[in-house]
Amino acid sequence: MSQKKKTIDFASSFEELEKITQWFDSEENVDVEVGLKKFERGLELASELKKKLSEVENKVEEIKKKFT
Amino acid sequence: MNTLRTISVAEFIKLVNETLRLIPSQEFVVEGEISDFRIAQDKWISFDLKDENGEAVLKCFMTTWQLRVQIEDGMRVQVRGTPKVYERYGQFKMNVQEVEPVGEGALKRAYELLKKKLEQEGLFDVSRKRSLPRFPKRIGLITSRDAAAYGDFLQILNNRWGGVSVFHLNVHVQGREAVSDLLGAFEYFNELSDTERPDVLVLTRGGGGLEDLHAFNDESVARAVFGSKIPVVCGVGHERDESLCDFVADVRASTPSNAAERVVPNREEVRYEIEMMCQHSEERLLNQLSQKSLIVERATNVIGRIISQQNERLKHLRQRFFDVTHVWAPALFDQIDGFEKILRQLDPKRVLARGYGIVTINGQVLKDVSSLEIGASVGVQLAKGSFESYVTKKENN
Repeated sequence: MSQKKKTIDFASSFEELEKITQWFDSEENVDVEVGLKKFERGLELASELKKKLSEVENKVEEIKKKFT
Repeated sequence: MNTLRTISVAEFIKLVNETLRLIPSQEFVVEGEISDFRIAQDKWISFDLKDENGEAVLKCFMTTWQLRVQIEDGMRVQVRGTPKVYERYGQFKMNVQEVEPVGEGALKRAYELLKKKLEQEGLFDVSRKRSLPRFPKRIGLITSRDAAAYGDFLQILNNRWGGVSVFHLNVHVQGREAVSDLLGAFEYFNELSDTERPDVLVLTRGGGGLEDLHAFNDESVARAVFGSKIPVVCGVGHERDESLCDFVADVRASTPSNAAERVVPNREEVRYEIEMMCQHSEERLLNQLSQKSLIVERATNVIGRIISQQNERLKHLRQRFFDVTHVWAPALFDQIDGFEKILRQLDPKRVLARGYGIVTINGQVLKDVSSLEIGASVGVQLAKGSFESYVTKKENN
């Protein structure tokens, strides 16, 4: 039962990307300097996420336990 | 009569009960129809078990804790238990340990009754249903390895998403061991530490009749689903099948495959979503940039307009200036001519031309002889040319 680091990153990276998108929508007047920085970060996250999306394997672990 | 042994009523009943215990009660079940079903003080259950023709009646007794299904009058059941004569009332009764509804009709009725009970208790309340994490990392799978459901679930899971750890607990999904297996599975997963605990539990099996699904309709299993700290997705059989676990679970999937669909997102959809987010942010950013450049453009326009306005004004002023020149210019020229004449008359050269001379000493025009010394050198300027001379004689007058 090892912790999977990359999948933790997926959820949090996705959330960060969502926050960036939200930021662009919620700002009445986007500060172009900040906007560019955020956009750059967004692209970075997107490419990481897409890389992870190509991961196809799921791991199945059998739990040895008898109840009856 | 005196030759016979005399015993008390209690002793006699005890003897009867000892004899009754010789009956191999565990080897059979008694099947009949329930009538006069009663519950006293929420604890004691009594009912009559009758044959179809109604001639034979068996009084039955049990506690509410022993009753795992919901029963009512008219229901056909099988009971397992031991016969006993109760001293106090002199009544022969069956001490029931287990009741099982018989036949699809009775099972369905028992199911409906339990469903109603749990519903009234609030086990199905939508308000308590938890949402699942969008991107689960760990999934606890509770099903039989031999069931088609197992393969279906994993296949759809792999088609849709990757990078997930599935922890499979192999359980009986039907038969005698099913209920305790399912209870054990929920206990196992819920007792794991926070870091080991799955993000979601999937309880699934193929379809079947009420008899096959009995474990999924069991009250204790339904309560285990209800009490799970981990959100539960339940997917049983075919779309038309339903189980009590379905209703209690946080998410009700229609089939094992649908359970996989409910648990993980589709990677293509997520890819699209990521692209849309980037595109949206980009549009917003570009929009802002073009708005900013529009502001600059507008400012430039305004400044340009001011400059050209000033230009116009200057041109206009110049025009006006030249337009009025003819009015004042001749007068000015006359004046200038006048000044010129005066100036010309004052010109010392004109005086010299008349034969006068200008005497200077050390560059200063000499107007008085008093300061002049004999022998000093003075300059004399004539109309044409000049010369230097010495003072030989002077007269003051």
